[in-house]
Amino acid sequence: MGVSRIASEVAVFARSTYFQYVALFQWASVRGYVAYKILLPVDQMLFFVELGAYATGPENAAYFALGNALQLTANAGIFGVIATVANERHFGTLPILLGSPANRLVTFMSRAVVNVLDGIVTVIIGFAIAIGLFGLDLHHANIPLLALCVVVVSLSTAGLGLMFGSIGLVMRDAIIVANVIYYVMLVLCGVNFPVSRLPGAVQLISYSLPLTRGVEAAREAVAGASFGQVAGLLGGELLVGLAWALAGYALFATLEGWARRGGMQEAY
Amino acid sequence: MRSLVRAAFSSLRLTLRTRVVSGWMYLNWLVFPLIFAAAGLFVLSTPGGSSSRLVYGVLGGGLIGYWSVAYIDGGNGIQDERWQGTLEQVFATPTPLWVIILGKVAGAILFGLLSFVPTAALGYFGFHAVLPQLDPSRFVISLGVLTFTFFCIAITLTPLFALWRWAFSMVNGFEIAVYVLCGFMFPVAILAPWAQGVAGVLAPTWAVRALYASTMAEGPHDLVAWWLVAVGLSLLYLCGAYFLYALVERRARVSGQLAWA
Repeated sequence: MGVSRIASEVAVFARSTYFQYVALFQWASVRGYVAYKILLPVDQMLFFVELGAYATGPENAAYFALGNALQLTANAGIFGVIATVANERHFGTLPILLGSPANRLVTFMSRAVVNVLDGIVTVIIGFAIAIGLFGLDLHHANIPLLALCVVVVSLSTAGLGLMFGSIGLVMRDAIIVANVIYYVMLVLCGVNFPVSRLPGAVQLISYSLPLTRGVEAAREAVAGASFGQVAGLLGGELLVGLAWALAGYALFATLEGWARRGGMQEAY
Repeated sequence: MRSLVRAAFSSLRLTLRTRVVSGWMYLNWLVFPLIFAAAGLFVLSTPGGSSSRLVYGVLGGGLIGYWSVAYIDGGNGIQDERWQGTLEQVFATPTPLWVIILGKVAGAILFGLLSFVPTAALGYFGFHAVLPQLDPSRFVISLGVLTFTFFCIAITLTPLFALWRWAFSMVNGFEIAVYVLCGFMFPVAILAPWAQGVAGVLAPTWAVRALYASTMAEGPHDLVAWWLVAVGLSLLYLCGAYFLYALVERRARVSGQLAWA
């Protein structure tokens, strides 16, 4: 009984992942993917690398390239996941989803899978650009550890995306919020300058966001650090992402309760 | 003529009103430029750097917000019509399309100008950045020329968004590249020579150069020449726009497939 139930939940998870990819993955066209997943990342890196080189000297270009390459995970983790959750309302499929007997936690978490994978692909593109165009040197890097950092950061940013995706269920302009969150991370998460330069209170916000510790760990990995030296940072990064995802699920469940009681699946 | 002015004004008024329907829309022109200004100011104020660079953070965030609202939102006006199912009605009215677009873009530009308010406030209160070398008259003329260049680009790009819905995605993908090529937050002179060549055919590059020169004492100050180049290039864009609008009209009326484009 236990095994068949787990198998059933895994099947729901797999189906939900597949359907959210075919129905809700918003970059599933060649032009859309090129525009938003290749052109925009290249532009963003170019902008901040040139800005950083102008402000601090060309020798620091790789610092900005690495930070921005990692921040690209938020492209999938924030924009992708928010759209995947919030678009159920826009497409009119939310009442059907809420009417299904499927496990809510399983269907909710499945929203992140494709976007996490996509986030990893985006960072690989970002690293290729950083190495090819901006001279990011990985000769001394601990590559397996750097790869682990990328996976962890992709997971944690998707956690934040799940939270704001749930908020998107009750507001019409979720994409604007996604835009703001994505770009706020450029300032708060140590992507372009150390978090220590921010005011004390703002640093608290920085460390409650995904990416901050992940970027720090990745910089250490590029410098050749071992797993033991960054394990704390990566553990913290995972915990932050999990906390945001669970908060998002709790909000989703609360909103579902309200909607069921009031019959307002599409009205709130 | 009076009816055209009235139609353009109605389009402008409608654009302004739809922009304030949702409080979240304010984030576009208020918070977005603020975020870029903050990122720019933190990077540009790195210890050991020249304080004169801060002007790029103060004005750069505003320029980014201004550009984003002017061309993205101006152009997106046509996409909105398509999504709301009103694109055919817009084309079926006796008012020429360019008049309606003119009103939309003017509305977007008015909102875009507001982007300078939060970024200047952040620069002043957050980083004590001031513009002691500011030449007000040259600054105002440069801003006027810049507005004209944004206006012409938005007018020119909009028919592309009407013709092909994917055009918006592609142009959107180049949005941040424009920040780089037009020198919104650092001088174009630091770019590779080939990139400077591309930047030279973009009208805002010259207007932005004049704008920054009007706030600094050092460096070349050929403002009149830069204004003329910016205006000349913008007029060239408008010549291209004439043919694009004719193409859109033909596509809309002959094939009747505009909403499917």
